[in-house]
Amino acid sequence: MTPHSFLSRRDFFGNVSTGLMGVGLAHLLGREAAGALSNGSPSTWRPGSGSSHFPAKAKRVLQIFCPGAASHMDLWEHKPMLEKMDGKPMPGEENLVSFQGKNGSLMRSPWPFVPAGQSGRMISSMLPHMGRHVDDIAFFHGMTSKTNTHGPGCVFMNTGHPTEGFPSAGAWTSYALGNLTDNLPTYVAIPDIRGEPPNGKANWSNGFLPAKHQAIVMAAHQPIRNLERPQGISATEELGTRELLGFLNERHAADRAAESDLRARIGAYELAAKMQLSAPEVGNLDSEPEHLHRLYGTDSPNELKAGYARNCLLARRLLERGVRCVNLYCASRASGVDGLLNWDAHKTLKADYERHCPVFDQPTAALLSDLKQRGMMEDTLILWTTEFGRMPTRQEGTAGRDHNPDGFTLWMMGAGVKGGSSYGATDDFGRRAEQNPTTIWEFYATVLHLLGLDFERLSWYHNGLDRRLTDVHGRVIRSVLA
Amino acid sequence: MRTLFAILLLPSLSWGAIDFAKDIRPVLEKKCLSCHNPNLSKGDVSLAEASSVFAAGATLVVPGKALESDLYLMVMPEKPGEKPEMPAKGDPLTRVEAEALRAWIDEGAKWPEGLVLREASKADKTWWAYQPLAKPKHDSIDDYLEDQLKENGLAMNPPADPRTLIRRVTYDLTGLPPTPEEVSAFVRDPDSKAYEKLVDRLLASPGYGERWGRHWLDVVRFGESIGYERNVIIDNLWPFRDYVIRSINEDKPMNQFIREHLAGDVFGKDQPEVEIGSAFLVAGPYDDVGNQDKAQAAQIRANTLDEIISATGEAFLGMTLGCARCHDHKFDPIKQSDYYSLYATFSGIRHGQRVLATAQEKQARAAKVTPLEERKAALETERATLEAAVIARARAKAAEFETHWTRPAVDRTGTEERFTPVTAKFVRLVSEAQDIKLGNAAGFGIDEFEVWSAETEPRNVALAANGGKASGEARKIEDFPNAYGPQHAIDGKTGARFISAGPYLTIELARPTRVDRVIFSSARGEETPQHVKFVFVAEYRIEVSDDGETWREVANGRDRKPANPNHQDLRWRQLETSAEESAKLAALRRELAEVNGELAAIPPLPTVWVGNRNPEDAKGPFHVFIGGSPQRPGETVAPASLSTLGEVVPGYNLPAGAEEATRRLQLAQWIIHPDNPLTLRVLANRVWQNHFGTGIVDTPNDFGYMGGRPVHPEMLDFLAVKLKENGWRLKPLHRMIVLTRAYRQSSGWRGEAAKVDGDSRLLWRFPPRRLSAEEIRDTILSISGRLDPRMGGPGFRLYHFMQDNVCTYEPLSEHGPETWRRSVYHQNARASVVDLMTEFDQPDCAFSTPKRVATTTPLQALTLLNHRFTLDMAGALADRITITAGDDPSAQVIAAFHLAYQRDPDAEELAHSLAALPMTGLRGFCRALLNSSELIHVD
Repeated sequence: MTPHSFLSRRDFFGNVSTGLMGVGLAHLLGREAAGALSNGSPSTWRPGSGSSHFPAKAKRVLQIFCPGAASHMDLWEHKPMLEKMDGKPMPGEENLVSFQGKNGSLMRSPWPFVPAGQSGRMISSMLPHMGRHVDDIAFFHGMTSKTNTHGPGCVFMNTGHPTEGFPSAGAWTSYALGNLTDNLPTYVAIPDIRGEPPNGKANWSNGFLPAKHQAIVMAAHQPIRNLERPQGISATEELGTRELLGFLNERHAADRAAESDLRARIGAYELAAKMQLSAPEVGNLDSEPEHLHRLYGTDSPNELKAGYARNCLLARRLLERGVRCVNLYCASRASGVDGLLNWDAHKTLKADYERHCPVFDQPTAALLSDLKQRGMMEDTLILWTTEFGRMPTRQEGTAGRDHNPDGFTLWMMGAGVKGGSSYGATDDFGRRAEQNPTTIWEFYATVLHLLGLDFERLSWYHNGLDRRLTDVHGRVIRSVLA
Repeated sequence: MRTLFAILLLPSLSWGAIDFAKDIRPVLEKKCLSCHNPNLSKGDVSLAEASSVFAAGATLVVPGKALESDLYLMVMPEKPGEKPEMPAKGDPLTRVEAEALRAWIDEGAKWPEGLVLREASKADKTWWAYQPLAKPKHDSIDDYLEDQLKENGLAMNPPADPRTLIRRVTYDLTGLPPTPEEVSAFVRDPDSKAYEKLVDRLLASPGYGERWGRHWLDVVRFGESIGYERNVIIDNLWPFRDYVIRSINEDKPMNQFIREHLAGDVFGKDQPEVEIGSAFLVAGPYDDVGNQDKAQAAQIRANTLDEIISATGEAFLGMTLGCARCHDHKFDPIKQSDYYSLYATFSGIRHGQRVLATAQEKQARAAKVTPLEERKAALETERATLEAAVIARARAKAAEFETHWTRPAVDRTGTEERFTPVTAKFVRLVSEAQDIKLGNAAGFGIDEFEVWSAETEPRNVALAANGGKASGEARKIEDFPNAYGPQHAIDGKTGARFISAGPYLTIELARPTRVDRVIFSSARGEETPQHVKFVFVAEYRIEVSDDGETWREVANGRDRKPANPNHQDLRWRQLETSAEESAKLAALRRELAEVNGELAAIPPLPTVWVGNRNPEDAKGPFHVFIGGSPQRPGETVAPASLSTLGEVVPGYNLPAGAEEATRRLQLAQWIIHPDNPLTLRVLANRVWQNHFGTGIVDTPNDFGYMGGRPVHPEMLDFLAVKLKENGWRLKPLHRMIVLTRAYRQSSGWRGEAAKVDGDSRLLWRFPPRRLSAEEIRDTILSISGRLDPRMGGPGFRLYHFMQDNVCTYEPLSEHGPETWRRSVYHQNARASVVDLMTEFDQPDCAFSTPKRVATTTPLQALTLLNHRFTLDMAGALADRITITAGDDPSAQVIAAFHLAYQRDPDAEELAHSLAALPMTGLRGFCRALLNSSELIHVD
């Protein structure tokens, strides 16, 4: 393509792969070896080619999401003052009205915090298995969100925008870096056996990026759609059909040598065939040894825990075989009774979290141990996320907590992350981020940095702006980098 | 403060008196304001006005002392050649600029009274898109194109062959393939006007509106669920889709069409076919979850209005108004106050549904309903009076009634019933009334139900661990069926509970057992058992059975004290109502049932998702929200036209109290004003884009600085002028475009030409394209002979819809005949994935989507190969071919090629197909055709 005076810079570089002419031919056929870590430089970065803006620490990402707003002060951030002031009004915010209404007095966490790891970092006693990993984790205790509502909150956490229609972080990564293997999708979302999270598929949407950057849904309880040869078609018929199709498409493309999308389409059918062989294998958890099943807890009589454990195991297998991004959900949406199907403990925190924590704790910890044991922590970035936090007070007339967008915890670990560190903190009660308040944009700027990407340069023109995962904000939080 | 050794050594430029407007203002606006404005105030500094400058710390500007003023010191390098601290982004001040600043401060830093600075946008009002339409210099599209081709040393391709042409134009104008008969008739037609006849036929066919209506639905971000957390499906927005298709088929003038979108309800009141246009306003996503936090609720409301403002700007004006929400537009001359004028304009809009009917229909229905409603009200009053009398009598006897109630009230944390030991295989709780809605037996929760054996060491024999089995109709969630199931009542754990959907909870014991006690609860161990979440039984009985069929009562709660005041009322009514009163009440109930039956029998008026208009919301006053935050109101604004086009289109300024309806009507009139160059250019460009694949401006929603520049500005204006001359009708424009030589040329590739213009933006060839998702699916249905041509009405669904507070859309694995309609009639829910449609780039339409992308992925291949739909259609195509071509394989292959590709196979293709048939069978052969590139590729 020749740059021409009337062509915008996008035609030349940015969005060209969406056009009919440029459809991912390079991506599908002539892709550079992306298996190695990129040692890219700004001048060599080509979207989707495996190259990056600068050398990457991580080449793949596992993002664990606990939908419903998992409570920071009941899981990750110890608040001794809450124990002291339990039952007393929250100083300065005695008449706090939040998402569901009025708040009552301060409420201590129903469970004690206990020291864990070499460092003795305090963590909820509801997470004994996760406690083993605290020395590898970088906590972001001073997170803030723009919204206190699940719908906008989930999309904000996943797309950097509190309104619908933007690409998820995984879609951005797929666009920026492309795939690591031809045999499996680049980006997989694993929903919980209890159903989809709030906002459903918008959480792993490609937004305005091309459709190929959306996550493929797959779970231990849910194979990839349309993967298998349909029933009633014999192997011979399949072979004959494929051969004839190959002939027809080659003939058609040969007459139109310049239309690269036709070549790409032939490539796509070849990749589909590879995927048909590889995807069932990756989902075959039976091939994992017994001791690993026990480690993850797939044998648990608690069907929710066993279901999530199987998804954790699947996540590891996907990452191991070259899936670039995995979104793993633990819990689902707000049912008629809040707090039942996800972490949204408005009325009965104790009962709700005594259901959710045992589902989450052992399988997640096992997944982290397994990744570590295999050396995959070296180049895998692990994120734990949720849409916002919860109030230090009880919701009036209940024993639960309302939504709190002003302070909460996220964490990351693995490739390039300084283990045993923490950044930011909420005030004595957990009400507001006080030290180093951190935005979701800063969190993702840091994530992109670890992937070798400059958050200000990863952009896509859409309706008037070069849009970014971090909107017009962001800053790399360097103190959590190893 | 710091001192700068280096700068003291710089020789001063000499200055006369400083002119703030000339010397200082441009520097501040260009180099400082982008961060130091009232919206961002980076470093808590805003340089927008005197008050903020002099309030930002004593040392920012020290009048008379530039060398003590941070403003000056920070823009100077510490050492020559170094980058100064400010500006943090962009170029440093030039020496002249810096010296002017120094001189200005030294001269006393005088700031003109009341002056507020604004960051200058990159483009100003002289931007090409805001200029009036130019007078055409040619009268033919081809002349414009050829001028430009010639300048670039290029020429058009020869004409496409007739088969290619009919295929191209039929897809383009109707989204469907031509039939083999249509192709052969056209190819053989000796009439020199054959092509014109073809174009006229296609423009007159209903398929035209279905195809071009779909383009428009993308632009107006039409989606049939609300999005966000709950993503509730909208079952009554389809009349808007039908309205779009109908309007386009009728070639309704686009100025009228746009006016209806913005204010159809205003000037078309009680005319459903006009009012429906204004459903545009509420066709986008919004978050409907209530919020008690006022600041957050205001933010979400602002997001909802932002969605409407942005969609309006992008769809009709090619303006990215949303970028002026938090600050003046950085690129285009759109002020933040312009944005908030529109905020005031749309402030009365609420998403939702209402009755859409003619005045006559409304009157006719009211005539039938009103007398019945009156009768109903009278009956209800009569019943209430009677019941009140009963309660009044009962109150007087309260003490006497109390004596019947000897036991404590039911206890949500644990209610025990002891009874004479009895041998039972089944024990059940029968609810007669739950404790919140006393009229309902169902809806209560049970976290644990224990049945204790009568033995020296009693055991809870209900426990699942002890062999108990629980049953009972429970609240259901389709994708997680056990969420509220009866198993929760016997799992030995509290926290999760059975939520009944009927009156029973039945426990089957492992074996017949002597039992004498049950304990049940809905809030065991809970701190706040009174919460509505723990709804429990108020009136109940406990029954036992040997066979699960014949039941004996062993206990009940009738001698317990009432659970709450409502329960007491219920008891009082039961005890105090006389036989005569009972009969009377029964009669009233019967009569009410009759009236309600009659009311229900009167068909309701159609209810449509056109949104509601709430004058209260529109009251104002309205403000600019500084930084986009409703918590930071700035200057007040009133509904007004955009300042951007102030010199080109006559503007308006409405009083703050202008009626909500007037505001939208005025805006509509302004947008479609004949002098408004944007509306016409944007429309003409959309039409062009959908014929040639790329617009003259390749960013059809953005004619601003960040958008593409027109490849051919003069031709764009020519098209816009033509559109206006044609009374804003599209069909003449289509006709003019598809009759050009440019459109009729071949798509053949020439390397030499491609070197100059690789994307063929100059149209030295016709740019080939892949079909859209809708076209692909419609093509498969069409050539298989299964396309159901029924137009309009409620849409079909390629997903299974589930709702449990929030909604889930599960793609279907089999598509029944009810779905075999054109894809434009699919009920497109947001954030739903529907295999073929999603994979072939059908957008989610969270935003106005001005153009489709065309990606190629392995998933498309998997879906097209393996989804049941392909298989069913391959079978249908095979049947169709057998009917037309009989059993002769050659004839079958030829017939299939005619249907799929509108051409004969060549000798090699025929031979290859015949060789494959024994392996593939006819269906497998058809499956290959349905997957082939040629099927979905238009030359």
